[in-house]
Amino acid sequence: MRFIIQRDRLVQSVQDVMKAVTSRTTIPILTGIKIVATNEGVTLTGSDSDISIESYIPKEEAGDEIVEIKQTGSIVLQAKFFSEIVKKLPTDFVEMEVQNQLQVVIRSGKSEFNLNGLDPEEYPRLPQVEEENAFEIPTDLLKALVRQTVFAVSTSETRPVLTGVNWKVENGELICIATDSHRLALRKAKIEIETAHNYNVVIPGKSLNELSKILDDNNELVEIVITENQVLFKAKHLLFFSRLLEGNYPDTSRLIPAESKTEVIVNTKDFLHAIDRASLLAREGRNNVVRLATLESKGIEISSNTPEIGKVIEELVAQSIDGEELKISFSAKYVMDALKTLEGHEIKISFTGAMRPFLIRPLNDDSLLQLILPVRTY
Amino acid sequence: MGKIIQLDDLLSNKIAAGEVVERPASVVKELVENAIDANSTIIEIEVEEAGLSKIRIIDNGDGIEESDVLMAFRRHATSKIKNEKDLFRIRTLGFRGEALPSIASVSRLELKTSTGEEGTRLVLAGGHLEVHEKASARKGTDIQITDLFYNTPARLKYMKTVHTELGNITDIVNRLALSHPEVSFRLVHNDRKLLHTNGNGDVRQVLASIYGLNIVKKMIPIQASSLDFTISGWLAYPEITRASRNYITTMVNGRFIKNYPLVKAIQEGYHTLLPIGRFPIVMINIEMDPILVDVNVHPSKMEVRFSKEAELNQLVAQTIKEAFHTKELIPTGMQREPKEMIRTEQPSFDLDHLPIAKEEQPPIEYELPEIEPYSPPVQIPFVQKMERIVEKRQEDPIVPSFSETVVEEVEETPAPIESRVPPLYPIGQMHGTYIFAQNEKGLYIIDQHAAQERIKYEYFREKVGQVEKELQEMLVPLTFEYSSDETIKIMEHKDKLEEVGVFLEPFGINSFIVRSHPQWFPKGEEKETIEEMIEQILTMKKVDIKKLREEAAIMMSCKGSIKANHYLQTSEIQALLDELRRSSDPFTCPHGRPIIIHYSSYDMEKMFKRVM
Repeated sequence: MRFIIQRDRLVQSVQDVMKAVTSRTTIPILTGIKIVATNEGVTLTGSDSDISIESYIPKEEAGDEIVEIKQTGSIVLQAKFFSEIVKKLPTDFVEMEVQNQLQVVIRSGKSEFNLNGLDPEEYPRLPQVEEENAFEIPTDLLKALVRQTVFAVSTSETRPVLTGVNWKVENGELICIATDSHRLALRKAKIEIETAHNYNVVIPGKSLNELSKILDDNNELVEIVITENQVLFKAKHLLFFSRLLEGNYPDTSRLIPAESKTEVIVNTKDFLHAIDRASLLAREGRNNVVRLATLESKGIEISSNTPEIGKVIEELVAQSIDGEELKISFSAKYVMDALKTLEGHEIKISFTGAMRPFLIRPLNDDSLLQLILPVRTY
Repeated sequence: MGKIIQLDDLLSNKIAAGEVVERPASVVKELVENAIDANSTIIEIEVEEAGLSKIRIIDNGDGIEESDVLMAFRRHATSKIKNEKDLFRIRTLGFRGEALPSIASVSRLELKTSTGEEGTRLVLAGGHLEVHEKASARKGTDIQITDLFYNTPARLKYMKTVHTELGNITDIVNRLALSHPEVSFRLVHNDRKLLHTNGNGDVRQVLASIYGLNIVKKMIPIQASSLDFTISGWLAYPEITRASRNYITTMVNGRFIKNYPLVKAIQEGYHTLLPIGRFPIVMINIEMDPILVDVNVHPSKMEVRFSKEAELNQLVAQTIKEAFHTKELIPTGMQREPKEMIRTEQPSFDLDHLPIAKEEQPPIEYELPEIEPYSPPVQIPFVQKMERIVEKRQEDPIVPSFSETVVEEVEETPAPIESRVPPLYPIGQMHGTYIFAQNEKGLYIIDQHAAQERIKYEYFREKVGQVEKELQEMLVPLTFEYSSDETIKIMEHKDKLEEVGVFLEPFGINSFIVRSHPQWFPKGEEKETIEEMIEQILTMKKVDIKKLREEAAIMMSCKGSIKANHYLQTSEIQALLDELRRSSDPFTCPHGRPIIIHYSSYDMEKMFKRVM
C-alpha cells in the first residue's frame, strides 16, 4: 500500500473514526485504525465492537485531487499514535507506505515516521447491512432528535435496555423515547417512509452521542438502515454502525398522564435560571432537591433549603396558572436537563398532584415532551 | 566491706521468673515442653480460671528419679544438655534449666513423679520446700501449680482478663500440638474440653481439631528441600483468609517459633493471592541442622536466629508460590457440607485438548530394579512395584534436582505451564459487570474488571521491570545518610545500585550524594525511590525494580482495564476468557480479590433440590 493524501482530509477522517476506538478493550486489535487503499480512494475504519465508524476519502472531489494512490493495500495502525502523528505533521501532504512485515512509513515534508502495523486480516469485519427499508432524515433534525432524548438514558447496566433510546417508526412517524426510570424524554418527527414499514428498536445512548458528535451541522440527508441487530447511519463519506440493544423496551405510553390538575406557563429561560440558582444550595444536600409552590398572586415560588448551609427563595411571575394549588419537590438536575432541550420561548408544565409525574412541553408543540417524577418529601 | 553481694538463689529465681514466667501461658508452655522432652505420648492439661488459680499437667513420660527431684528445682539444673558442645546441637525444647525453679518461686507447686518404681511427692511454696515424701504415683509426672503469682503482686496486677489469658494458653497448646502430632494433647478449662488430639502422628487430624474439618479439607501439603533445609507443612487455599497473622504457625525442628522475616516470606509466597489485610492459615515446619539455628536468644525460646536466613526465606516463598502454581484455585460459590458422598463420574472426551500427534513414550519396564535381586518378585504387591518404578523414573538425570541455584532461576524462566483455568464458554453478562460462563463442570462467574486487571498486571509487571538506561542530571544533588554498619553493607553492594543507574558517591562519613537519577523515577519521588532501593540492598542484597514498581504496575493495570458497568459482546467475552486462561495466576486480581467463582453442576442441582 502506498498513497499520498491531503493532510487535512486525513486528520478529519482519523478524528471521526477515533470516536469508535477505545483504549479499553479485551480485543487488542480494536485499539487500531484500519486503513484500506483501493483505486477509488482510502477508507478508514475504527470500532469498539459496539460502534463501528467507516470514513471514506474519495480520490477526487469536485475536480480536486485528494488522494494519489500509488499502490493498493491495507494495514492496521495503533490509533493512539497514528492520530497524534497525523495531527502534528509539518506539511499539507502525507505519504503513507506499507513496507515488508507490516512496517509503515509516514512521510510529510522532511519528517519520517516508522510505525509497526498490525495485520489487517485480523481486524473484525464490519456487519453486513441489507440496504432495503431505509429512510432519510436531515442531519440537523437527526441531531436534534438525539440531543433532546439521549440525556435521559440510564447509565447503569443493571437494566441494559434502558441504556438505549427506543426508536419506533409507526405510520410514517418516528418516535424516540429515553428513560432512566426517573424521567422520560419523548420526541416525535414526521419522516418520509412507506407507512407499511414499522420498526421498534433500541439504540445505545452512547452510540447516538458519538454519532451526534461526528455529524456536521447541515441539512444534508442521512440515510438510516435498521436491521435486526444493527443500525446504520449513512452520511456523505461516512458510515456509522451501531449494535442494537437486545430485549423489549418497556411500554411507556401508559406513563404519560393525559390530564392535569395544575397547568403553569412560564418563560423557559427565567424558569431554568431560577432553578439553577436554587440548586446552588441544594447541591450540597443529598438529592439536589428543589421545591416549587404556586402562589395566589399568579406566581410560583422556587426554594431550596439545606440546614447546614442556608436557604434560597425566589419568586417567579408565571404567564398563567390554572387549576389547583400545588407544592412539589423535584430533582433540579432532571428539570434542568429537560429544560435545556426545549427551544421555545415559553413552556407549559402540567402537574397532576405532588406525588404524580409532571410534564414539561414547549407551548403549542406536541412533538416533544419531558416527563419527570417528583421527589417525595416526608 | 564491699557493697556488692551475691544474691541468694530464691531471689535470683524470682528475677529469672520475670522473663520466663510472664503469664499463665508461659507456665503451660514450659511445663508441656518438659513433658514432651520426657518422651510423653499423652499430655493432659487442666486449667482453672485461665491458669491463675490452677494449672495441672499430667504426662506419661519418663518421670524424675527420686534422687534428681530436688536437683530439678535448682537453678540451671537440667538433664537436657551436658556440656558446651550440646548447646549448639539442641534437639530438646528446653535446655536452660530455668523454668522449674522460676515457676516454683512465684507459685505453690505440687509434684508427683515416678519413673515406674516408687514415686516422689514434693510441695513447694514460693520456692520453699514444704513437703518431700515418698508417694505412690504412676509412671510420668503430675505437676500442679496453684496461686500463680501469689507472691508477686506487681505481676498479678498486669494479668489481662480471663479470656485473653485463656486465649494465650489455647494458642500455645495448639501450636505445641501442631508441632507434635505424635503426642496426644488434652486441654481442659474449668472442666470444659477445649482441645483433644489423638496423637496418631497425622498433622491433618491435629489441624482439624484446631481449625475444623472444613478448613483442613482446603489445605494442601508442601514439601521442599535444599542443601540446608527441609520444609514441610500445610497451606490453606487463598480463598480461606484470616484477619491476623496468628494463624501462621512456624516451627523449626519441632519447636514453635516466632520469626518476622519468615512470616514475611510466607506472605510473599501468597503475594497477590490474598486481599490486602488478610492473612493465610499456614503450618510450616523447617528441619535443619541445629547448628544453623540459635534458639538461645530469649529465655522463652520463641525467637530464633537463622544462619542462612535469606536462603531459607527464599526457599519458603518459592515453595509456597510453586504449590499454588499448579493448582486450580477457583473458589466454589457453595458452602459444602462436610458430608462425604460417593459420587460416580462419567469421564468424557477432552475435546479441547485433542493431541495432534503423540510422542513416543519410552516403554515402562515392568521389571524389578537389579539392586534387590534376592527378593522374589511374586511377594511384592503390584502397587509397591509401580511406586518403585516411578521412583526410578523420577531419579532420571533429565529431571532437574532441586538445589538452591535452581530455586533462584525459576522466577526468571517460568516454565510454560498448562492453563489452570478450564476452557469456558460464555453465557452472557450481568449488570455489565460479571461474566457468566459454563463448561461441563458447571457455572463460572467472573469479575470482568478483576480478570482484565490480572491480565494487564502480568504484562505491566514485566514491562515496568525493563527500564531504559537514561539518567537525568540534577543541579542540586541528593544526599543520603546511613549508620556505619549500613554504610558498610551499601558499599559492599554498590555495584548493584550502579547497574540500575544509581551512582553513590561517598560524601563525608556515612553519607552519600547522588548527582543524577534514572529518567523513569516518578517525579518528585526521586529521593524516596533511591531510599527504597537502598532498603532493598540492605534487606535482600539486590535491587528488584519489578518489585519496586509493582504498585505502579498495579495502577496501570487497573486504569487500563475495562470497568464494571461496561457492556461486552460475546466475542469480547471470549477474548477475555481466552486471555485469562493464558495468564499465570488467573484466580486473584493484583489486590488479591477473587476473579472466578465456580458453582459445580452438583451445587446447582443441590440449590434447586434436584438432589437432596
